[in-house]
Amino acid sequence: MSKDLKFLVVDDFSTMRRIIKNLLHDLGYPNVAEADDGKTALPMLQAGGFDFLITDWNMPGMPGLELIKAVRADAKLAKMPVLMLTAEAKREQIIEAAQAGVNGYVIKPFTAETLKEKLDKILGAGK
Amino acid sequence: MSNFQVLKLEYGACVDSLSEALRGGDETAFFTAVDHIVRMREPATLTEIRKLTGDLQKALQRFSIESRLADIAENEIPDARTRLTHVIRMTDEAAHRTLDLVEKSGPLAERTAREAAALIDSLKSYRDRPMAGGGFEGAVRSIDAFLPVARAVEAFLPIVRTDSEQIRRNLADVLLAQGYQDLTGQIIRSVIKLVEELEETLASLTRLSGDVVEHTTLGESPDKGHGPVVPGVTRGEVASAQTDVDELLSGLGM
Repeated sequence: MSKDLKFLVVDDFSTMRRIIKNLLHDLGYPNVAEADDGKTALPMLQAGGFDFLITDWNMPGMPGLELIKAVRADAKLAKMPVLMLTAEAKREQIIEAAQAGVNGYVIKPFTAETLKEKLDKILGAGK
Repeated sequence: MSNFQVLKLEYGACVDSLSEALRGGDETAFFTAVDHIVRMREPATLTEIRKLTGDLQKALQRFSIESRLADIAENEIPDARTRLTHVIRMTDEAAHRTLDLVEKSGPLAERTAREAAALIDSLKSYRDRPMAGGGFEGAVRSIDAFLPVARAVEAFLPIVRTDSEQIRRNLADVLLAQGYQDLTGQIIRSVIKLVEELEETLASLTRLSGDVVEHTTLGESPDKGHGPVVPGVTRGEVASAQTDVDELLSGLGM
C-alpha cells in the first residue's frame, strides 16, 4: 500500500492528535493533517485530497459519529476508509458506529501495535 | 343530620360522664372526662399550632440550606470550573512536554544506531580484507588498512557519549513531567469534595420539600458520547479491552 496516503486526524485534544500523528509518522505515513472536531473536519474532507479518516467520538461541536454519518452521506466521500479512535466503549455505541459505517474501531488507551494492525487491516481490505 | 346533632352525639356522652363525676365528687373521672373533651378539640387548635411550628422550623432549615446552596452556586461552582480547566491545561502541558522530549530523543538514538551499523560494516570489511602477506611490509599494510576504522571509532565514541547523556537527561525530564498527575489529582479530589457537599445539600432540600424529584441523567445522548469509561460510574455493557471490540465487530461481520 502506498505510503503517500493523506490522513486526517480529528480529535478535540491536541495532545492526542500529536500522539496519533507521531505514531502514523513512525508507521511510515508522514502526510497527516489535523482537525479539532467534525465541523472543522467536514469542509477539509469535502475539499478533497484525503485518503483516510481517523476520528474521535466525543467532541464539542460535531461529534465523530455525526461526522462519519455526514461522510457516508456524501457521494464523493462515501467510500473513504474511516477508523474510529475513542474512549467510548459501550457495546451499543460500538454497534452504532459499525452501523454508521466505520471500517475499524479502536478504544483508548491504545497501543501503537493496535493502531498499526487496524490500519493494515483496513488498507489491506481496500486493495 | 344537622351539625348540632353531630356535636350532640360526639360530646353528649362526654358531658354526661363529666357531670356524673362532678356530682359523685370523683376527681379522677372528672379530669379524665375533661382531657377527653380537650383531645376532641385538638385537631382544630393544637394540631394546627404544631403544624405551624413545624412549617416554621422547615422554613428556617430551608433558608439555611438555600443560603449554602446560593453560596455554592455563586462562588464554589465557578471556582471548581476554573480548577478543572486548570487540570486540563496542566495535563495538556505535561503531555506536550513529554512528546517534545520523545521527539528530541528519537533522532539521537537513531543516529547512534546508524553510526554503529556503519562501524560494524567497516570492522567486517577490515576482517575480510585480502591477506596482507607476511613480514614487516605485511604488518604495515595491516595497520594502514585499520587506520580509517580506528579514526571512525574515535569519532563515534564522543558522539555516543554526548547523545546518550542527552537522552538520559530527556528521560529524566519525561519522568519529572509526570508530576502533573499528583497536582491534578489533588485538584480533582477537592472538586469531588464539593460535589459531595452539593449532593448532600440538595438531598436535604429534597427531604425538606418532601417532593419526589424525577430522576434525570445528564449526558445520556449516545450521539454525543459519554467520555472515557470511569469505573463505578459508567453503566451498561462496556468493552474492557480492544479484544472485546474486535469480537463484537467480527460478530457483526466486520
